[in-house]
Amino acid sequence: MALKISAIMIALLLLGFPMMVPLLLGSMYGFYELFGGFERMTFMVQQMLAGIRPASLIAVPMFILAADIMTRGQSAGRLIDMVMAFVGHIKGGLAVSTAAACTLFGAVSGSTQATVVAVGSPLRPRMLKAGYNDSFVLALIINASDIAFLIPPSIGMIIYGVVSSTSISELFIAGIGPGLLLLVLFSAYCMIYATIKGVPTEPKAPWSERLAAVRQAIWPLGFPVIIVGGIYGGVFSPTEAAAACVLYALILEFIVFRSLNAVDIYRIAKSTGLITAVVFVLVGAGAAFSWVISFAQIPQQLLGSIGIDQMGPKAVLAVISVSFFVGCMFVDPIVVILVLVPIFAPVVDAVGLDKVLVGTIITLQVAIGSATPPFGCDIFTAIAIFKRPYAAVIRGIAPFTLILIGVSVALIFFPQIALFLRDLAFR
Amino acid sequence: AADTWKYAFEEAMTDVQGVFAQKFKEEIEANSDHQIQLFPFGTLGESADIMEQAQAGILQFVDQSPGFTGALIPEAQVFFVPYLLPAESEKLGDFFRNSKAINEMFPALYAEQGLELLTMFPEGEVVMTTKEKVTTPADLDEVKFRVMTNPLLVESYQAFGATPTPLPWGEVFGALQTNIIQGQENPLFWVESTKMYEVTDYITFTGHNNFTTAVMANKAFFDGLAEEEQQLIRDAIDVSFEHILEYQEGLSERSLEKIKEARPDINVVVLTEEQRQPFKEAAAEVEAKFIEMTGESGKAILEQMKKDLQAATQ
Amino acid sequence: MGSAEENKDKRKDAYASTLPGILGTIDTGISHAESFILAAGVILMAINTMANVVGRFVFQSSIFFSEELNRTLIVLITFAGIGYAARHGRHIRMSAIYDALPAKTRKLLMIVIASVTAALMFALCYFSVGYILSVATSGRILPAMQIPVYWIYLWVPLGFLVTGIQYALTAVKNAVQKDIYLSTHVLEGYEDDEIEV
Ligand code: NA
Ligand code: NA
Repeated sequence: MALKISAIMIALLLLGFPMMVPLLLGSMYGFYELFGGFERMTFMVQQMLAGIRPASLIAVPMFILAADIMTRGQSAGRLIDMVMAFVGHIKGGLAVSTAAACTLFGAVSGSTQATVVAVGSPLRPRMLKAGYNDSFVLALIINASDIAFLIPPSIGMIIYGVVSSTSISELFIAGIGPGLLLLVLFSAYCMIYATIKGVPTEPKAPWSERLAAVRQAIWPLGFPVIIVGGIYGGVFSPTEAAAACVLYALILEFIVFRSLNAVDIYRIAKSTGLITAVVFVLVGAGAAFSWVISFAQIPQQLLGSIGIDQMGPKAVLAVISVSFFVGCMFVDPIVVILVLVPIFAPVVDAVGLDKVLVGTIITLQVAIGSATPPFGCDIFTAIAIFKRPYAAVIRGIAPFTLILIGVSVALIFFPQIALFLRDLAFR
Repeated sequence: AADTWKYAFEEAMTDVQGVFAQKFKEEIEANSDHQIQLFPFGTLGESADIMEQAQAGILQFVDQSPGFTGALIPEAQVFFVPYLLPAESEKLGDFFRNSKAINEMFPALYAEQGLELLTMFPEGEVVMTTKEKVTTPADLDEVKFRVMTNPLLVESYQAFGATPTPLPWGEVFGALQTNIIQGQENPLFWVESTKMYEVTDYITFTGHNNFTTAVMANKAFFDGLAEEEQQLIRDAIDVSFEHILEYQEGLSERSLEKIKEARPDINVVVLTEEQRQPFKEAAAEVEAKFIEMTGESGKAILEQMKKDLQAATQ
Repeated sequence: MGSAEENKDKRKDAYASTLPGILGTIDTGISHAESFILAAGVILMAINTMANVVGRFVFQSSIFFSEELNRTLIVLITFAGIGYAARHGRHIRMSAIYDALPAKTRKLLMIVIASVTAALMFALCYFSVGYILSVATSGRILPAMQIPVYWIYLWVPLGFLVTGIQYALTAVKNAVQKDIYLSTHVLEGYEDDEIEV
């Protein structure tokens, strides 16, 4: 059944059907096979709704709204002008800044989709203007946003910690090393890319100009304060910080800069709703699909057939990596963690693997999978928000995926990348 | 014929509901040709989703805590009324074995929803974990306390003097870490498995509740089984029930040991009978709210629960 | 914002159905209702979330139904949005192979795609009515708001229905017109000046 479903889905996808169709028809076929008819299709609807209900998803439309207000108003522009005044003269400076902004924003907001929107929408036009190729820009935004999974707070790690009975604080600390390593490698790639492609630099700005840029950005600098200070300072949950950003953006653009009016807000809210809908319907369809996979116990069957019980620790880690990578290519990461972790738990215990290391590796795979075709929430979000075709969005992804896979392999052979900080803090 | 039955529950495989389910699976598979497939937390949806699936007969068995069943059977929320269950573990087993409310009144209510109530069992004493020491309701003043989205829990913590703050469970750890909230309640094993002790400093035993859960079968499925198959299931449930009570013996101690090992500076406070008194008095408000929500039928269950409690503690 | 762009925005805002007579009026009405629901839903969500923070800090009391209200709104937004997205050709698809095909094949394929998608949406509309009925019969209520759970799902079948109709009309439009249409009024091909909807 798994094979038939995959064949149906990939065929429909390639033919150019709206992305929800392969997912929904694939699930529908699964329901039909499982229950011998259409009688139980109501539960496909149940699972679609279950997929879009989780409270943590509310942060996504809120950050989309705040980002859109900032981008159409003046806040985002002023913030970027400030950054440019400092890094505009460095080869790849803007790209590195974008990667860093994605990492930081993703780290605190906890939502990779929100990051794609919030950092991507103001920075993409600026990078295009600076001479970067669009496929590079899109791939950078999507992949750098996914570093967020590894940097605390990370909902993926919390769920892994609960399902596998692993210290969440230790997981959080262990994620920092690989997260920063990824940022460094992405930045290196950005600089190499900018050099090879000859992306022009701006002349180095004098300090007077830099100071003026900072002064211009004083008000918008409140956003990082609200997000970073608000979340780490215990004022807001990530969702609430998103709503606070909306409020602050409204105050700035309405009262301080007077750049937007009520009609603009209506239009921005509508466009936020539209983007939310086209992404969430895919999240819901993915949930229905993963229910079929889980109910039919397909992962158990597949893993049973490869004889994981006889493998050594490194081979087990490799199988785990590949399984989560493949799972997240098709299904929402949280669901993949919930379904697969209990299946692997006995063998992880049996070969005596460090559960914090396993959790870090899993989280990394989840990050890769969400940014890797064919299905990936962050890819969908980028398509919806930037209005670019699917092919254009994924064209530049390969080098980033290679870096991510490289770090995965490195983690299996050098676990200290993750465990060094953990051991320092807890052992 | 050898059938495959599906059994979903609300916790991870290694938590109490998972231990119960695994024992049940073991018993059924040892004594028949049937197979049981287990679906832990989240693999087939949220608690409400697996309940619907069981009601429709897609799943044969489901474990849902009565508190969550409250959306369907309002009376089931009686398990959120504080101080209705014996705090002493030796009395607890007898209470569940003999309670008329549990063994006679609830099965009829579940049957109306297409469910065969097979058993209810305790999962462990509910403790508060907080940032600051709690010995009186006054200590909970201005404490933002995470509770599940349920009117009776909200009422309870309001009555206890806290600021009840409903929060999805995925956000609880982070919210405690960043001090958005300063307390939460859960059975001790859950505090251990979700690592709540990493982000709170005090564990307080108030004796106000023991987290209860229920295992059900789809009624049409169960009624359609032959007499001996039904007996097979009932026997497996009985064995698992006794197993879980045994497992519970010392579970709190084991959880507490693990917590202390991981976090030697954690503070454990067991309230004295005298210290519990003001919390017990607050429970009256919650009872009133429960009766307001559930009417005569709820009132009858509440009164029976009290009688059962008296019988068990005599 | 430049004035040319503003004009373009206004033009796009005033969505006018291409359907004849009373059908056109209804269609235009639905489009307006959808965009209002989208905007209002998002704005309400922001207000609700902020109010919860204010309540917690200023009044020492959370809005205990805040989470349920947000869940209700997200369902509303999603299912109002899929119809709106269908109308404006904004559903995500992978068009690399499709784009490489000759025009005649593309047209035929688009008719197939739109018809299959429409049929799927109508089927889901039917199944979601079934689901809502079963939730309604169970009498399940939301714990905090104390309203029946099925209320928050009422928009779901309507969303599927409207989306299905949009795709069905797209199939018809492609069958009768010379050009190739992504939706009832969006021609295929991504424009460089991004489509404002
Ligand atoms: Na994060
Ligand atoms: Na993917």
